[in-house]
This record gives sequence, C-alpha cells and structure tokens, in this order.
Amino acid sequence: MEKHDKQSDHAPVHISSYRDHWSTLVTLLLLTVVTVVISVFGANLAALSVATALLIATVKVIVVAYYFMHLKYDKKLYTWLVLLVAILFLAFTVLTAIEYFNR
Amino acid sequence: MTAVSTQLSFFDTRKGLFSWIFSVDHKRIALLYLYSLITFFLVGVTLGLLMRYELLNPGKDLVEAKTYNQIFTLHGVIMIFLFIIPSIPAVFGNFFLPIMLGTDDVSFPKLNLLSWWVYIVGALMALSTLVFGDGPADTGWTFYAPYSVKTGTNVTMSVLAAFVLGFSSILTGLNFIVTIHRLRTPGMTFLKMPLFAWALYATSWIQLLATPIIGITLLMITAERVLGVGLFDPSIGGDPILYQHLFWIYSHPAVYIMALPAFGVISEMLPTFSQRTIFGYKAIAFSSLAIAFVGYFIWGHHMFTSGMSGTARFIFSMLTFLVAIPTAIKVFNWVATLYKGSINVQPPLLYTLAFIFQFMIGGFTGLVLGALATDIHLHDTYFVVGHFHYVMFGGTGFAFFGALHYWYPKIWGRMYNITMANIAFVIFFIGFNMLYFPMLIVGLMGMPRRYYDYLPEFHLPNMISTYGSWVLATGLILMLANLAAGFFKKGPKVGRNPWNGITLEWQTLSPPPVQNFDRMPEIPLNGPYDFENKPAIKE
Repeated sequence: MEKHDKQSDHAPVHISSYRDHWSTLVTLLLLTVVTVVISVFGANLAALSVATALLIATVKVIVVAYYFMHLKYDKKLYTWLVLLVAILFLAFTVLTAIEYFNR
Repeated sequence: MTAVSTQLSFFDTRKGLFSWIFSVDHKRIALLYLYSLITFFLVGVTLGLLMRYELLNPGKDLVEAKTYNQIFTLHGVIMIFLFIIPSIPAVFGNFFLPIMLGTDDVSFPKLNLLSWWVYIVGALMALSTLVFGDGPADTGWTFYAPYSVKTGTNVTMSVLAAFVLGFSSILTGLNFIVTIHRLRTPGMTFLKMPLFAWALYATSWIQLLATPIIGITLLMITAERVLGVGLFDPSIGGDPILYQHLFWIYSHPAVYIMALPAFGVISEMLPTFSQRTIFGYKAIAFSSLAIAFVGYFIWGHHMFTSGMSGTARFIFSMLTFLVAIPTAIKVFNWVATLYKGSINVQPPLLYTLAFIFQFMIGGFTGLVLGALATDIHLHDTYFVVGHFHYVMFGGTGFAFFGALHYWYPKIWGRMYNITMANIAFVIFFIGFNMLYFPMLIVGLMGMPRRYYDYLPEFHLPNMISTYGSWVLATGLILMLANLAAGFFKKGPKVGRNPWNGITLEWQTLSPPPVQNFDRMPEIPLNGPYDFENKPAIKE
C-alpha cells in the first residue's frame, strides 16, 4: 500500500520561498546577536537577564516552528498541540511557584 | 505485489540474527522488545524474590542491609524503566498499531529500530552497575536528593541509564503520534480507531512531553555529583524539594504511560470475549485523553510529607481526586460491556477480569493515599508498596500477560495449551494476591517501606507475602513455559481469527505477512466494535 492512500491529516503541500527561508535565518541571527550583546557585553538587566534570555529564545522557537517547520501552513490542530506544551510548562511553573512562595 | 509475497509471513522473509536486530519491520522490532523485556522482567522478578526471602523472618535471612537497599533499587529501576514503561506500547503497540490502522508500518521505521537499540544500551548501562563502580545505587528507584548526591554507590551510571532509556520512550511516542495522524487507512477516521490506538495516542503524548523533564532532572543530579553544582543539596545551596517536584512532574504522568496502554488492551479484549459492542466507545476514548491531561497536574500528591507548603498540599490533593473520574468512567463502561454479552471464558478474559478486580483495589487504595489526612499516616509504609503493585502489576502486568495470550495466535500463528494457561492463571492470580494484599495490611499496621528488618508483630503478614511470592513465581514459570511450548513444540495452527475478533488485525493472516495485509482490510461501518455488522472473514 502506498503512503498517498492514507486517511491522513496533511494540509495541502506548501513550498516555502527562498525569501521566507532567508528572513527566518536573518531573524535568528539578529536575535542571537541581541542575546550575545545582552549577556557578554554587559547590558545590566539584573534579575531580568534570565527572563530576557528566555523571551528571546521563545521568539526564536516560534519563528523556527512557524516558518521553517511550516506550522503556519499546516492544519490549525498542530498549532494547538504545540500550544499545549506551553500550557503545560506554564502549569508546572505556576504550581511549583505556588508551593515555593507559600512554604 | 505478487501473490507469493503477500502470503509470506514476516518470520519467513529473511533469516539470521542480523535480519532481526537490524530489521525496520515494526513486527520484528516488537518481538525484539518482547524478548528483551521478558529477559529483564525475569531479572527484576529474581531480585523481588530475593527481597521477599530476606523479609521472610525478622533479622538477617540472606543479605546485609546495604545489599538489600541495592536490590530493591535495582528491582525498581529494572521493573519501571526496563519493563513496565516500555511494555505494552513497545511490544503490542509496535506490532498492532499499524495493523489496526490498516497501514504497513509506523511513520519512521528506522527511528523505531533506533529506539530499540537505545533501549538496549540503556538497559546494559543499568545492569553494568552490578559489575562496575561501587555497586548498584542504594537510593530507591526515585533517586531522591540529597542522598543520591552523597551516596558512594554507582548512582551516576544508574541515572544516566534512566536518561538514555528516556530517549527510547520519546522516540516511540513520537513515532506513534505521527503514525496515528498521518498513516490511517482511508475510512479510518479518529472515531473509527480501536480503543487501543486511542490509548496509545494519549500515552504517546505523555512520553513525548513529560520524559524530557526527567532527563534534565537526572542530568542535574549528575552535574551535582560530578561538578558540585548546588541544585538539590541544601549544604551547597540546593533545594531537595525542587528535586522531588522535578522528579514527580515526570514520574506521575509516567504512571499513566504504564496504565493507559493497559486500559487500551482491556478495551480490546472485553468486546472480543463478550461478542458485543463496547459500552461507551467515545467516553472510553476521551477519558484516555482526560487521564493523560489531568495526570500532568497532580504530581504533588507524592510529596505531602516532604515539607512542601500547606496550600500546595491542599491544591494537589483536590486535583488528585479529579483523575478518579475518567478512570471510573472506563471501569463502569468495561463492566457494562460484559452485561448481556455472549461471554466466552478464555485465558485473555481471565486476565481482563483479574485486571479489573486488582486495578480497583489499586485505585481505591490510591484514593486513600490521595487524601491528605490519611496519606500523612500511610506515607512511606508498605501500604504504598501494596497499592503501587496492585496498580502496576495487578493492573498493567496482568494486562500485559493478558495481551500476550490474546495476540499470541496472531503473532505466531499457533495456539498454546488453553487448559494449562487457565491453570497457570489461577496460580498466578492467587500468588499475586497472597504476595501483595498482606502489604496493605502490614502498611496499615505501620510497617515502613524500604526497611531491611522489621518488628516481630509484622512477622505473619510478611511470611504470607513471601510464600505468595513463591506461588506467583510458580504461576509465572508455568505460564511462560506453556507459551514457549506452544511455539517450540508447535501448538496447533490457527486461522485468521481464532477469537472471533473484529478489529483489523483479525482480518489478516496469522502470522501477518510482511506488508501486514494480503488483501485490503474492510473497516466496519459503525465503529470498530460493530459486531452486529461484522465483515465476513474468509480464510
């Protein structure tokens, strides 16, 4: 049996343009530069430095998943499944924080 | 595809060791897992028997206290990481998921083979602690910090083994999710999938999303032991409760990695041996997802006595009770399926009924432990050990062996001796309950777990429990010998559908051909358990 026979959840095939790929690359490089500048060249954000690094990393993940990995062009179901991960991470953090701050 | 190739069984295509250990056929990989799992399971059973022998009488019977600690740790690591977690998904999921979906393999066959190899490497790492370093870890399978950071035993290798084994689990989960989304045969919509596929789908999401957390946590222990980074040890600025959070954020959902596939197996066997549609198909399917989801938020109930905040204890206790709802939905639906069915009592059904009975005991004792007030009394007693074994062994273990009896004729194309299977089951069942029920009682009496010695008033229940372990082992040996005899002594050949089942695996040859089907499978119109309109299956 061939693969194209399947009852699959494929969205119509989308081929990304070179422009999309280059934009993704440039965005990632720029964000990497920002991360390096903040951490190495002494932008003094004190307690916010970890939060800033996490924020930049999150933006990079979204760019990669959305454009490079085609989440944008796939069925919306997959966007929700990826969001599930964020929801779980948030739940773990909030529940652990509730425990820690109420000790 | 020629007529010959579609008839040729997956056993007969290629011969030799290499044709197995480098095969990308999901059926061969499933059997590689089965043989490895059973081997490690027997090692775990041997360690368990040694523990029980040590506890036959108060005082020393067999080994020193430290050796006892190492034995129960290795028993836990082997049984959890090498047997129960991979058991049903890696063996029966690998073998039957693609067939049940009407496809020819999983989405990533090479990744599937890699996951078995990773599993073997992890298993060898875990067992290597018996030989190398300062002996196996003596921390318990939970590796609680700060003791795991300070003990001189070989914790580093043990946690690295668990870390490597996690990758195997992740890869299998990923493979199943993609297979279910992408490779269903035409007409096989989500709501026409067998419930075993639904259970594997829910399980796979836990494997994929929760396992990385334990991976990082175990690496953190290694970082603390090797580099002295203060993460969990309070003497160097760490927080031991943080370890327990991180450990149980994975390990509680992992309980559902162990239990959900068993629910799926039970949901397959009940309709077949009742010859009627399963009661509440959608309720059972969605309750698997609900259990997987709610299971993420209740890890704190393992930590009620750890010193965590009262607010968190209250929240986690309340959330814990939520998971009983979808679980009870399943049990009620299973029992309702039997009602007015044409019940055919065969070995797989016996395992199914034992599963329901024992899982109920495990579930109810779980509620006792989920309630804050009673848990304070029972935490770290033998009650917990009894509860856990009722859920994991009485539940998942029995489902695993039930599944082995159920799908045996499909996998090998032969039948075992039914009378002997029934006798082995009865001995196994009696042995199991003799072994674990006294643990609940002795736990209520106050005997702590993980102790090498005990007070004289705990002697009788411990004695019964140890005798039970011998009865259980006898039943197990009989069962495995009977199954092996069916294979080696060539039990009678069976046709496509010896149990009169309805899901797609019963439409193909026994054993299945390499491509899984010798002709296009027919999907029942009104769902996967529509026995009234069952497609006629010609030999």
